[in-house]
Amino acid sequence: MYILETKDLNHDFSGLKVLFGVNLQVKHGERHAIIGPNGAGKTTLFNCITGTYKPSSGKVLFKGMDITGRTPHELTRMGIGRSFQITTIFMNLTVFQNVRLAVLSKRGIRFNLFRFVDKMKDITEETEEILRRVNLIEERDFPASALSYGKTRALEVALAFATDPELVLLDEFTAGMSRDETHAAVELVRKLTEGKTAVLIEHDMDVVFSLADRITVLHYGRIIASGTPEEVRSNQDVKDAYLGDLEV
Amino acid sequence: MKDKITKISLWLMVAMFLLAYPKLFGMYYVNLFVTFMVFAVFSLSFNMLLGFTGLLSFGHAIFFGISGYGTALALRHIEGIPLFPAIGLGVLAAVILAVVLCPVVVRVTGTAFAMVHLAFGQLMYVLALKLRNITGGEDGIGNFPIPNVSLFGLFSFPLKNNPVNFYYFALVILGICTWLMWFFTKTPFGQIQVGIRDNTKRIDYLGFKVPESKSVIYVTSAFFAGVAGSIYGLFHNLVSADGSLNVLVSFTAITATLIGGIGSFFGPIWGTAIFQILEELTIRFTEQVELVTGIIMIIVIMYAPRGFTGFLATLKLKWQLSRAKRRG
Ligand SMILES: Nc1ncnc2c1ncn2[C@@H]1O[C@H](COP(=O)(O)OP(=O)(O)OP(=O)(O)O)[C@@H](O)[C@H]1O
Ligand SMILES: [Mg+2]
Repeated sequence: MYILETKDLNHDFSGLKVLFGVNLQVKHGERHAIIGPNGAGKTTLFNCITGTYKPSSGKVLFKGMDITGRTPHELTRMGIGRSFQITTIFMNLTVFQNVRLAVLSKRGIRFNLFRFVDKMKDITEETEEILRRVNLIEERDFPASALSYGKTRALEVALAFATDPELVLLDEFTAGMSRDETHAAVELVRKLTEGKTAVLIEHDMDVVFSLADRITVLHYGRIIASGTPEEVRSNQDVKDAYLGDLEV
Repeated sequence: MKDKITKISLWLMVAMFLLAYPKLFGMYYVNLFVTFMVFAVFSLSFNMLLGFTGLLSFGHAIFFGISGYGTALALRHIEGIPLFPAIGLGVLAAVILAVVLCPVVVRVTGTAFAMVHLAFGQLMYVLALKLRNITGGEDGIGNFPIPNVSLFGLFSFPLKNNPVNFYYFALVILGICTWLMWFFTKTPFGQIQVGIRDNTKRIDYLGFKVPESKSVIYVTSAFFAGVAGSIYGLFHNLVSADGSLNVLVSFTAITATLIGGIGSFFGPIWGTAIFQILEELTIRFTEQVELVTGIIMIIVIMYAPRGFTGFLATLKLKWQLSRAKRRG
């Protein structure tokens, strides 16, 4: 049984067709990488799945349930987390406050106007616990805008996981990182995805082959291959279209 | 611990000063201070939207004005209505107006939000002038009865033609409002509010409902603007389109907030004070008060974009840095 499926997903931006009948299948508990050249439509696929856009046609199924066109906040509450290619964090809040917002949401604390948030001990403890796990505890009281690039991306990933989703979609979490930062981020994601299902958009082939259980190749809006890393590596279409360029 | 004691004694001193104020200063300054309190609370309610949610309104006076009219109409037409229900009716009018506007305004941001409010503001202003038999047209509603302040018959003292009593009355009501608005920013929901300002998309992706949350903030802001407007009407014993619905009233809040600093809760209070002191000083030399405040605005925007409180924060940082350097 698939935790996430798209059925014949099409999307176009006022005439510009970007996705052509995409059938993505993600199994329970796997780390599934989506690769493809720039402009292939990977981010658009994520946007159609997580409710940023309503797909032009086709369906998105989460645990067999039709979630097409649901809004991001509904999907988050159902257990889907997401990180963005372009960092989407609260720049003027501290690292602690960033993660605390996710913890508040997870606990269903939304319209509470009767307590000092700073005095909610259990929330503070859970937030600090997450900060320790993602190695941001030393930057606890930094404004997010003062973080190094690598740490900013770590916070982005932390926000995707902090609501404790069953399924996370990570859009190029290593984008722009140095080698060391990439290495640390890969280990972090390996740790955080334990017991969860993850879909990763990734350009760095080392990262893909070190993390992914299965790979889907998206080429100009069409899936041209999907399978284990070995299957994809030996697929002739993929070699011709994509991997060949990268000399893998 | 030491910090706490300093803090408490500081607040005690402020409280004692405010209590003794009417004894220390003449009637003129008592009235000036009431005006200050009204516009400080009005600006704070405005900054709930601008500073804390990132929404700039060009028509915040609609809530200030409608509440003033509501209270005045209640006192004029409802025989024997006590003071607090009359204020409550005015504020209720502001809240209802906000609830009606909500579906539209929580879905727009930036320029559209500002302009929609400018348009509503003008509409209300014109309505107040045209609906002469309700609003009194250009004359407004004046000299309506003002009941004594009384709470469950425990005490009762008159407000009408009694500026000192009015001062204490306004101090209590507007003080409570200030505390409530401050508390609002410290609650879990207050965190969601600044989250919306900082990154609406992430708030959505964390599982919060953005339009609903904005609605709560918007209505709360209208509520406090309404309290300020109602008190202002009582203070002058007059509500008029030019005094409470004019676009200049909205701009008073904008100017005070920008001068004081949108980034800090207390910014608008500082801004209102600075604004008023400037006005007091310039009016002695020239009638062109707007000219002077305009120039000040330009200077602030160019050289201190985070306003007075931002300027203070920068000074404090520099002082700490130099002290740290001297220590080595
Ligand atoms: N909001 C939009 N409006 C119009 N066109 C868009 C929009 N978003 C994406 N596109 C176009 O859709 C195509 C796919 O973009 P998308 O961002 O999904 O690619 P991607 O695979 O994520 O690329 P990259 O690897 O560079 O992140 C591109 O041609 C892009 O220009
Ligand atoms: Mg992309």
